[in-house]
Amino acid sequence: MLSFALRRTLQAFAVLLAVSAAAFALFYAAPADPARAACGPRCDSGQVAAVRQSMGLDQPLLTQYTDYLVGVVAGRDIGDVDGSVIHCDAPCLGYSYRLHQPVTEALVDHLPVTLSLTAGALAVLLVLGLGTGFVSALRHGGRTDRLLSGFTLVGASVQIYFLGYVAQWALVYSTGLLPLPSYTPPGEDLAAWAGGMLLPWIVLGFVNSAVFARLSRSQLLETMNEEYVRTARGKGLGRLRAHLKYTSRGAAGPLVQLLGLEAGVLLGGAVITETVFGLNGIGRFAAEAVGGQDLPAVVGAVLLAACFVVLFVALADLAVAWLDPRIRLS
Amino acid sequence: MAAVDTVAVPSTATAPAAPSLLRRVLRDRVGAAALAVVLLFLLLALAAPLIAALYGKNPVEHYGQNAPGLLSDGGLPMLPNGGISGDFWFGLEPGLGRDVLTQLLYGIRTSLLIAFASAAVTTTLGVLAGVAIGYLGGIADRLFGFLANVLLAFPTLLLLLALSPVIQSRLVDPGTAEPEWMQFLVLILVFSAFGWIPLALSLRATVRSLRERDFVQSARAQGASRFHVVVHELLPNVRSQLLVHATMAVPTFVASEAALSFLGVGVTEPVPDWGRMIARGSEVFQADPTYMVFPGAALLAFVLAFNLLGDAVRDALDPRAGGR
Repeated sequence: MLSFALRRTLQAFAVLLAVSAAAFALFYAAPADPARAACGPRCDSGQVAAVRQSMGLDQPLLTQYTDYLVGVVAGRDIGDVDGSVIHCDAPCLGYSYRLHQPVTEALVDHLPVTLSLTAGALAVLLVLGLGTGFVSALRHGGRTDRLLSGFTLVGASVQIYFLGYVAQWALVYSTGLLPLPSYTPPGEDLAAWAGGMLLPWIVLGFVNSAVFARLSRSQLLETMNEEYVRTARGKGLGRLRAHLKYTSRGAAGPLVQLLGLEAGVLLGGAVITETVFGLNGIGRFAAEAVGGQDLPAVVGAVLLAACFVVLFVALADLAVAWLDPRIRLS
Repeated sequence: MAAVDTVAVPSTATAPAAPSLLRRVLRDRVGAAALAVVLLFLLLALAAPLIAALYGKNPVEHYGQNAPGLLSDGGLPMLPNGGISGDFWFGLEPGLGRDVLTQLLYGIRTSLLIAFASAAVTTTLGVLAGVAIGYLGGIADRLFGFLANVLLAFPTLLLLLALSPVIQSRLVDPGTAEPEWMQFLVLILVFSAFGWIPLALSLRATVRSLRERDFVQSARAQGASRFHVVVHELLPNVRSQLLVHATMAVPTFVASEAALSFLGVGVTEPVPDWGRMIARGSEVFQADPTYMVFPGAALLAFVLAFNLLGDAVRDALDPRAGGR
């Protein structure tokens, strides 16, 4: 198990390094004028020149990239457009000339909203996805199965930027069943936090649960017919208990992996959900950075999102290896 | 892979499976309905100029601003339900006062053009990469595995958001207006850059197991060239996987394109687009929900129909997959 964990961690680091190089190449080397793209439309030519100096664009590309990496590991000093020098603490993901703030700081400010959104949406996804998957598998081929499959397919086809507004109209504006979506720090007022996030949780969880429901249905059906489950039932274990005890564990691998991927992707920022419900998380921040032509903030957000994906996919792999010895031994 | 067993007699499977596939899809009631809806959308897209001419409106003219009595001072349609009337069957756009029906019709063309082009490019790339890498194995295979890991770690939507302006800055001189076809090209390019990976990954796995099967081994023993093995032995066996992927790719790209336009980086004015219509509708949603319902419902119907069709195609090609 230890050697598997070690190998998997090394692989994750290699992927992260490649991701950072690719992001750097795409955003700092590819634009026609990176300094202009970093400073935004409101900068005059003097400020753009200052940014060019501050970003080290006169240096070779490799030096720029290693400077960036050193900043991530150890922090570095960066000059702002007005000539002042700011120390950017590790992990320094660059400096936003638009916000006059290190990107890491800005991202950390927006992280709690995204964390809350992800946690609740994952809970909804898990309950809905596993629930419909399990019931469909037990009632396999019957009317309930078909009904749930249809429900799942609608979830897979509906867009958050439509469902979100319709749900908001039906549940908030027309009937007042739910409070207007908003973020209150859970430390301040737990009830307001949960109430304000409930609608985004349900919508995001439902839309993302479709793939999970399909996968859990097919996984459960496959394992239900395995010898060891049939043996357990043949020995007199009840249908439900046999499935809960043996089938679930056997079917868990791919589900854990999908859940890890979903968690990583959602933590990187749900741009559309946050836009629809007016939540100021990482996704909204990144979209605004793109709109405001704030290149360092965009790159920082992309890297953070990639980190989450790599981290959670690796964690899921470790969990699967722990569940299933065949994987870690291969 | 289940797909292996479905197309039997691999090396002689040159006769097209299309007629029987169509018949099998049509036998499924849901599949037939989905196909009908998809064909209806295609027909509407093709006939959009004709319908617009018969109906006497176009998607760019600001009817509400030019004729009095259609829009209120606040820019909202005077008549209830978004201004639906005998003249404007689906109502008027708040603010600019354009005709909703023709905007919707021309919006299908925008979506479909981008989605079909992206699906074609990604399917081609995915097949080439997947089959070649699966067949060659070795270093190519490991490199591809790593590359896929890297590309899949990127946040897709955010990257699409961020890349469109970067590509535009390369293709268009600053200060000059971007031609319409360039917007389409940029979107197709960014979708294609990432869309081929899932197909390539799944084909790689299929081909890897096919490579060891008897019919491939015997073809090679008879001295068949690599080209022959790939084209005549392997490709016919991944055809069903391809078809399902291509069908499922279209709604994905339609939804992605609408999402980008909703966020304001996709297709720009005045090209009619569903995503931008929904974005505009969301601004006036409380006062005039009708304007958003049309593009939203159209998008849902379109994506749902395509997904159902994809399911039906998969079931027709591999009856076990649906039952499982």
